[in-house]
Amino acid sequence: MEHKPRILVVDDEPQLTRVLRTGLSSHGYEVRVAADGVSALETFGDWHPDLVVTDLAMPQMDGLELCRSLRAISSVPILVLSARGEEKTKVEALDLGADDYVTKPFGIEELLARVRVALRRTKTAASSEAAPTFLETGELRIDLETRIVTVKGREVRLTPKEFDLLLHFMRNAGKVLTHRVLLAAVWGGEYVEQNEYLRVFVGQLRKKLETDPAAPRYILTEPWVGYRFNPE
Amino acid sequence: MWKAAVRKQFLGYIVAVIVIAAATAVLNVFGGHINPTTVALAFLLIVLFVAAAWGSKPAVLAALVGGICFNIFFLPPVGTFHIAEPENWIAFLSFLVTGITAGQLSARARRRAEEANEVRQEVERLYAELQESFEEASQARALKQSERLKSALLDAVTHDLRTPLTSIKASVTTLLDDHRSIRKNAAPSLLNDESRQEMLEVIDEEADRLDRFIGGMMELARIEAGEMHLRRRWGSIEEIVSAALSRASALTNNHKTELGIEDDLPMVCVDERAVSEVIYSLIDNAAKYSPVDSVIRIVARRVNQTTVQMGVADEGSGISPELRERVFDKFFRATRDGDISANRPSGSGMGLAIAKGIVEAHDGKIWIQNGPGKGTAVFFTLPIGEGQIEGQKPENTNGA
Repeated sequence: MEHKPRILVVDDEPQLTRVLRTGLSSHGYEVRVAADGVSALETFGDWHPDLVVTDLAMPQMDGLELCRSLRAISSVPILVLSARGEEKTKVEALDLGADDYVTKPFGIEELLARVRVALRRTKTAASSEAAPTFLETGELRIDLETRIVTVKGREVRLTPKEFDLLLHFMRNAGKVLTHRVLLAAVWGGEYVEQNEYLRVFVGQLRKKLETDPAAPRYILTEPWVGYRFNPE
Repeated sequence: MWKAAVRKQFLGYIVAVIVIAAATAVLNVFGGHINPTTVALAFLLIVLFVAAAWGSKPAVLAALVGGICFNIFFLPPVGTFHIAEPENWIAFLSFLVTGITAGQLSARARRRAEEANEVRQEVERLYAELQESFEEASQARALKQSERLKSALLDAVTHDLRTPLTSIKASVTTLLDDHRSIRKNAAPSLLNDESRQEMLEVIDEEADRLDRFIGGMMELARIEAGEMHLRRRWGSIEEIVSAALSRASALTNNHKTELGIEDDLPMVCVDERAVSEVIYSLIDNAAKYSPVDSVIRIVARRVNQTTVQMGVADEGSGISPELRERVFDKFFRATRDGDISANRPSGSGMGLAIAKGIVEAHDGKIWIQNGPGKGTAVFFTLPIGEGQIEGQKPENTNGA
């Protein structure tokens, strides 16, 4: 039988960890808390959580440093708790490989929704590890061998770069991808400042894939941060 | 400018003629008794004076007019332009040449002095400009610094307001979420009684924390505006300390408190409530920043005839010397801004700032030093205040 999904909550504010422990536990998650990055890493090594929810500003080892350290040893999904006014740090955390963020103060439903998405992503990644020959979301489907993309069964012609970008989006469905991360993954490290490339290519993809490009269903904009492929 | 210069020179010519004429008239009173050399020297003096005041051209005019007058009125035969004796010719020509040369030299000296003066003024002007721009630059720097400070303060306040709000919002939505799912699905509650109680407690505690924060802000604002009105009365230090201790009893449950209050301490004339607040917030800090079961020691002793010293020492991790001044700054917190690592509830960052305000309002001093062995000790002094209140005798009533 599958064990309860494990969530490690890292925040230096004891009252908040108290609430999150109770709120998440009541929804069937197993929860442990840590007050700083160093003890979070210790717990992570012993306990192997399925998801890490971390604050950014903490004593000793902050959220950024924790993201960096975790990414060096694991691909566990990381959810960042950031306050308004910490935008720069938040984007840095996402650049370092955090998956998503929730802005403080937040309602528990919002956090639970993000937790579900992040956990689903690891699950699908794990189950499709065998031999993924195609990726599918809604009516959008990519055949990885023939590189044919179809929407509602109709073939859509994409340029090679458009295809690479869409593939990267779908492989990281649900995850917030910063401009830098997308540019580095699709165009290469020397293009990380060329945000206009992204705008143009995302615009073209939306025209070709979305029913209403002005109100996209697949590729969502995360204002001032990047984009997120919506797997729902 | 040019006109003024011309008018000035014109005045020089007139003065030259008038003064020479006047001198001639005065010297003429002595008639034939006067020595021509005396007259020549007097005229030379006038030429030099004109040169110094109006420059070379009026000086030349003075020399020429002087020469003519000298010749007509003082060189024999007097009353004519004719000169009989050859030696008097020499005297006349010598006077003219000397007068004109002296006039030129004196005028040149005057010009040099003027030039020097102009240069000096120019240097002064440049210096003043330089100073002004220095001042402007330092003002700009100060402004920038104060803006940086303001935004740091704003960040701190925002953080202090948002942290309890985050916990409250998360608790409330957890309860709401549960409530909704019960109503919608008629399902049993996900939260047990204990969890629900905990959420409500968090809300309660964090609401209090917000209230304390706002209270602290108001107190600080009052201190900063110099509006702290101390209600000084004669009181015993033991009473002040025990009031603080009983208020802090909830904070010190997990610590041992020790008292080190000297016998025979005098009464002090202070605002008891305010000083008790200082001790309370020092105990609060000590409890926050030292391990469970460690000792918090409260001490008081007389330093000299006029001063008592009190302090609170803990066995925590101490405060590094470079932070010892900054901890008294508003909103500074060693856990977040400094080097103390802590898995503890953090304070508002205002306790020590308020304590400092209270102590300084009493003309006392507050400082931090390393405790005995390890830990932090915060000390402050208070003037005993003898003679400040009449009618009541500041006698030692301890143990009486």
